[in-house]
Amino acid sequence: MELVNFRIFGAGLFSPEAEGTTVVTGPNGTGKTSVLEALAYLGTGRSFRGAPRESMVRTGEDRAIIRAELDNNDNPTLVEAEIVPAGRSRTQVNRKVVQGRKELSTATPCTIFSPEDLVIISGGPRGRRDLLDDTLGFLDPEGARAADVVERIQRQRAALLRQSGGKVTADVVSTLDVWDHRLAASGMTLVKARERLVRDLVEFVGPAYGRLAGSEGRALVGQHYVRSWDDDLLTALQAHRSDDLRRGVNTVGPHRDDMLLEIEGREARTHASQGEQRCLALALRIGVHQLVLSRTSVIPTLLLDDVFSELDPARSRALVAELPPGQSILTTAVPLPEGISVAHIIPIGQLVRAS
Amino acid sequence: MYTGPLRALIDELGRLPGIGPKSAQRIAFHILKVPTEDAHRLSDAIVVVKERTTLCEQCFNVAEGGAWCAICSDDQRDGEVICVVEDPRDIVAVERTNQFHGRYHVLGGALNPLEGIGPDQLKVRELLARIDAGQIREAIVCTNPNLEGEATAMYVARLLTPLGVIVSRLASGLPVGGDLEYADELTLGRALEGRRRIEV
Repeated sequence: MELVNFRIFGAGLFSPEAEGTTVVTGPNGTGKTSVLEALAYLGTGRSFRGAPRESMVRTGEDRAIIRAELDNNDNPTLVEAEIVPAGRSRTQVNRKVVQGRKELSTATPCTIFSPEDLVIISGGPRGRRDLLDDTLGFLDPEGARAADVVERIQRQRAALLRQSGGKVTADVVSTLDVWDHRLAASGMTLVKARERLVRDLVEFVGPAYGRLAGSEGRALVGQHYVRSWDDDLLTALQAHRSDDLRRGVNTVGPHRDDMLLEIEGREARTHASQGEQRCLALALRIGVHQLVLSRTSVIPTLLLDDVFSELDPARSRALVAELPPGQSILTTAVPLPEGISVAHIIPIGQLVRAS
Repeated sequence: MYTGPLRALIDELGRLPGIGPKSAQRIAFHILKVPTEDAHRLSDAIVVVKERTTLCEQCFNVAEGGAWCAICSDDQRDGEVICVVEDPRDIVAVERTNQFHGRYHVLGGALNPLEGIGPDQLKVRELLARIDAGQIREAIVCTNPNLEGEATAMYVARLLTPLGVIVSRLASGLPVGGDLEYADELTLGRALEGRRRIEV
């Protein structure tokens, strides 16, 4: 992978081992996480740290470029992304522009573990929805497509609501009708895909949590998808229309849904300890990874960002034991816990020097 | 870097769609090299196209002199069927099939609130006026198969159907002469949906 003007790298070259674990080492603030962020950007089209585009571009430059050659089951793939905060960012796979979740995730499949994952459990519903939608990219082309379409319809609909300025003209009503119908159709496809995914994940996440937490299956993990409306989406959209028009935003739809996570019957977001939340976040990521492995021939690259700093050695080993073989790249500022085998160590300094 | 007329030419060329700064520079230097009469032919063609062509008053296709375009003035055309398209270029595409013998209506875009395009910015009122004038029995909506095009198709269908017009949409499916294995899931899914019984 080659980086140009990405974060602190003016130019950088990164070549991890194709099989086994590559460890990127170095002190804080030297760009270890940025390397993973760049790889993950290729697979998801955004920063896993939730950073805006401009923060990924080196100070004083107008664009950043990430270029990676991937093997993908003997299917050589060239993925190139250009990040332009002030203009149109784009990603090309084998020199063809792509944008959907599915296209990105199949070209650069990756599973990310990072300290920020805690927010999936403790934060707002957006992180949980993003996790589900990104996973659909691997497992459910129709659902992933629906997620992209819903996002675009929401943007169009919001623009229309804003432009109307609260005034209900015949034109506004007739065009809203059209967007509502399309949103209802794609929205239901998306919601059903998310609900299916949540059901499928349950059998992987619960056991993973049990093994990580060492609680011998005592901790019962519950997962439920929660729709933000009742009955039929189209009816709900029409019922909330005057509210939408007055506030100029989409108030109902799949973008307000949530996934409720419970440990022993208590909501994890509000009732679990930070340790439990961290464990559950890891279990969710592992669950997704194992589900993808069990259903498809895709083997996502594992990206582990500084996860050991937050875990005790026993849990670190349990985490590594959970991870299947394949390519994994991890960063650490602290020595690795014992019992973790490593194929290759790359000090971060080697990356910056390359041109 | 460049000054005067050359700079102005590069800037003007760079404002054209699909032409970036480097292409603009290459074209400008090309023009600089060609014989004067070639350059005149180019500039004349640009001036003439602006002077002599207008938009058809009926369908908003490109018209050369006169109020109506060649298709609207052609008596041989079926006046009962119209094809609703986003752009005059789409007419060229449909005409190439040689399978459509009706007339057209150019909307001038698709519904796209993000870019400020609503029914008012499209030639929708004019379309309704043509329907009101009678004669039109069937409308084939040939907007692009993307989000905005599909929304526009649905919008047009919801407007015209109550007026007694039969509204249909272009089918989506596999490209002729293509390979099934190269089709993306979405297109293949649509093709499955729209499958047809084989007549034996």
